[in-house]
Amino acid sequence: MSSYVKILLISTVVVLVAMSAQAKNFGENLILDKNTSISEILKNGDAYVGKRVKVEGLIVDVCAKRGCWMYLAGQGPFEKLRFKVIDGEIVIPMEARGKRAVAEGEVQKFDLSREQVIEQRKHHAEETGQPFDPASVTSGETFYQLRGLGVEIPGL
Amino acid sequence: MNWRNWNFLLHRDIGYACIGLTLIYALSGIAVNHVRDWNPNYRVERVAAQIMPRQFSGVVTDAMVRGMLQELGEEKVPESVFQPDPETLWAFIDGRRISIHFPSGTVEHERFDRRPFWYPLNFLHLNHPKQAWTWVADIYAAALLVLAITGFLMLPRDLRLRKRALILTGFGILLPVLALALFY
Repeated sequence: MSSYVKILLISTVVVLVAMSAQAKNFGENLILDKNTSISEILKNGDAYVGKRVKVEGLIVDVCAKRGCWMYLAGQGPFEKLRFKVIDGEIVIPMEARGKRAVAEGEVQKFDLSREQVIEQRKHHAEETGQPFDPASVTSGETFYQLRGLGVEIPGL
Repeated sequence: MNWRNWNFLLHRDIGYACIGLTLIYALSGIAVNHVRDWNPNYRVERVAAQIMPRQFSGVVTDAMVRGMLQELGEEKVPESVFQPDPETLWAFIDGRRISIHFPSGTVEHERFDRRPFWYPLNFLHLNHPKQAWTWVADIYAAALLVLAITGFLMLPRDLRLRKRALILTGFGILLPVLALALFY
C-alpha cells in the first residue's frame, strides 16, 4: 500500500474518533449563570426582547423533519416556549422529546395578523401531522420565542 | 511526467477518493430536497385509540394520569407529562408520546424510528456532527473544485471532441446562470 493511501486512512480514523467524542450539546456553549423562568418570559416578554437568556424545561415537541425547533414547557400549567434555530445550525433530534433541556437564546417578539397565525399553525400542523381547523383562529396574536443559540440535553 | 499526466493522476485518484462522499451527498441531497413531501430522517407512526370520555378541564393529578394510562393498558410509568391545554394530556414513555383528549376520549400513540439508511446519510450531509466533520466536508468541497479544474484541463486534443467538451461545460455553467435570471 503506498504511503499516501496509508496517511489518508489513518487521518480518516483520527477524524472519526475525534467526532465520536462529541457531547449532547448543540450549538454555542452556554455562557449565562442565571436561569430565567419560561413563565416569566411568556408573561413579561417585552422586558426580555433582544436579550440572551438561559432557560430550563421539559422538551414537549420537536420538529420531526428538520429538527429546527422545539417547545420547552414552562413552570405554569399549559405554558410552552418555542426555541427556534436556524436550519442546519443546530439539529434537535426527535429522541430529545420528553427529556429536560437547558438552552440559551435571544428573546424575539412577533406580532402576527390572523392570516399569519393561520399560515403558521397550518405549517406546524403539516410538520407534526396534526389536524388543523383555520376557523379555530379568531384573531391575530403576539408571541415570544427564543432564537436558539445553544442547548444541552443531559439525558440524551 | 508532463503536466497532462499529473493532471490525469490527480483527477483519477481524487475521483476515486470522492466516490463514497459523492454518493452520500447526492442521495441525501435528493432526500432532503423533498422534505416537504416526506420525512427523510424518521418514520413516524400514529395509532388511534379510544378511552372513556371525561368531562374534565384543568390540571390533571398523578392519579388521573395513572387511571387513563391503565385504561389504555399502558403498564409503564411516564417519564414526563405535559398539558398543552386544559383538555389534553401528553405522556412521554420510551420516546413515544401518548396524547389523550379528555372530552372526546380520543387517544393518539405517536412513535418514531430513525430511517436506518437515510438518517446516517442526512446526518453527514447536513453536518449534524459539526466539529471534525466540518473539516471533512470542506476538504471534500475543495476536492470537488480540483476535480472540476482537472476535468476541464483534460480537454481532448481532437478538435471535434474539444468542441463537444466546451459545449457541455458551457451548458453546465449556463444552467445555474439561467436559473438565477429566472428565479432570483
